[in-house]
Amino acid sequence: MDTSGKEKEAMQLMAEADKKVKSSGSFLGGMFGGSHHKVEDACEMYARAANMFKMAKNWTAAGNAFCQGARLHMQLQNKLDSATSFVDAGNAYKKADPQEAINCINAAIDIYTDMGRFTIAAKHHITIAEVYESELVDIEKAIAHYEQAADYYKGEESNSSANKCLLKVGHYSAQLEQYPKAIEIYEQVATNTMDNPLLKYNAKEYFFKASLCHFIVDELNAKVLLSLLMYEEMFPAFADSRECKLLKKLLDAHEEQNCEAFTEAVKEFDSISRLDQWLTTMLLRIKKTIQGDAGDLK
Amino acid sequence: MSSDFEAYEQDFGTLTAEITNKIGRIPKLGGKEKTQLVLNVDKQLEEVRELMEQMDLEVREIPIQSRGMYQSRLKSYKGEMEKLEKDFKRSRIAYSDDVRNELLGEDAGSSESQRAHLLDNTEKLERSSRRLEAGYQIAVETEQVGQEILANLHSDREKIQRSRDRNHPEPSPGLRPRRHHPPHHHSGHLFQCARALISPNALTHTHSVSHTHTHKTRTRMINSDKSVCSGVIRTNGAHESLFLGPDRGLSL
Repeated sequence: MDTSGKEKEAMQLMAEADKKVKSSGSFLGGMFGGSHHKVEDACEMYARAANMFKMAKNWTAAGNAFCQGARLHMQLQNKLDSATSFVDAGNAYKKADPQEAINCINAAIDIYTDMGRFTIAAKHHITIAEVYESELVDIEKAIAHYEQAADYYKGEESNSSANKCLLKVGHYSAQLEQYPKAIEIYEQVATNTMDNPLLKYNAKEYFFKASLCHFIVDELNAKVLLSLLMYEEMFPAFADSRECKLLKKLLDAHEEQNCEAFTEAVKEFDSISRLDQWLTTMLLRIKKTIQGDAGDLK
Repeated sequence: MSSDFEAYEQDFGTLTAEITNKIGRIPKLGGKEKTQLVLNVDKQLEEVRELMEQMDLEVREIPIQSRGMYQSRLKSYKGEMEKLEKDFKRSRIAYSDDVRNELLGEDAGSSESQRAHLLDNTEKLERSSRRLEAGYQIAVETEQVGQEILANLHSDREKIQRSRDRNHPEPSPGLRPRRHHPPHHHSGHLFQCARALISPNALTHTHSVSHTHTHKTRTRMINSDKSVCSGVIRTNGAHESLFLGPDRGLSL
């Protein structure tokens, strides 16, 4: 593939498009119809140029070209085209410059919310949140975007998509030690899903996570026990699960300040189903509190 | 007479002592020695029986007055003899056990083999438990995968329902859907529809329709990308089978 040739072609197209835009500007007063057509052509050319940059893998230039096209579309009041071009720009920038990508996608989201297309806006919020999660590693902002997405989804009555986002929010809030928030979210999601026949098998997992967060927040076991009982009452299947048994064992170990029993119980659970990273982190925190208490007693 | 009786008593005593001794030794020995001992004990028991008979005769010859004492003694001797015979029999059962061992070829090694047997059993048990555990793990993993799939299905279902309800409310059977079709749903633009369904934001279709026309229809499709989904669902059978494939039953 003659990528360098494509790049040159793309550059040429960009230059042409720029010229068209400028020329249309100067003719604005007299030949409005003609300039309109020219600006449209220019948009077209920007899009083509951007695609050629993509082929040449010059992501920044591609993103740039899409952005310019998008702005032109805005001028022409083609909101949808503009938004889609911004999204394309965002996708192109994702591979090169995450920050720019976020800016472009944000612009697209603004247009979509303006038009009332909340579902798509929510989807893009998720995309941005993912970028924050993986490349820019700014968990707080990621949480904010996930929350926004969940709100939009709720507004559009897509409860399962909303739940998905909420779960992520809970996940990261707990990691950032914002436990009350996490507890609330997990409880909410669990109560929503436990009635739904398709989703009820997930409910026990959410109750488990909520209980773990309770555990960390609350050194005195009263609250944890209470919450456990409440969950069992709400959702009898939870009582039978291995997670519930593990929690009870952990509670006992914590009361007795017995670090080994704690480790024992965790190991036993792990031998059947591996603990993922989040669970391991939470359990480690709880364990540290036990060890810390034991140290204080000495 | 009584001196004869006493001589018999003494003999009886020594014989029974010997028999008891030998009976004690029988189970521990094996093979030929055992057989010999057994024969010995047999002979001695015979002698003891003869002694008993003679003592009996002696007692009968004693005058009736003093018979009582001898008779009681005789009775106790008879009891002893019976006991000896019983012991002898028991020891002979042990004898048969030995012969059995000889037959089955495990003698001093029997306890060893038992131990090995037990170890074998334990190992089998452990192996089965391990396999059960592995099976359980797999079951749990499968459950988790199932959970994820169910969640995905649920969300997809919501999306499909939403787009269907939003754009095309249930038409009454008599209504011809034809006039709701934007022009690009007709056969000439079928290819465009397909691309739109798959990737509504992809702007790089390549086909022979003219440039500006493409642009406009693209815009319209993007405008109503959802209606494309549902519009296609609602159109005639050819479109449906093209896009929905095996999920035909889902939306209808």
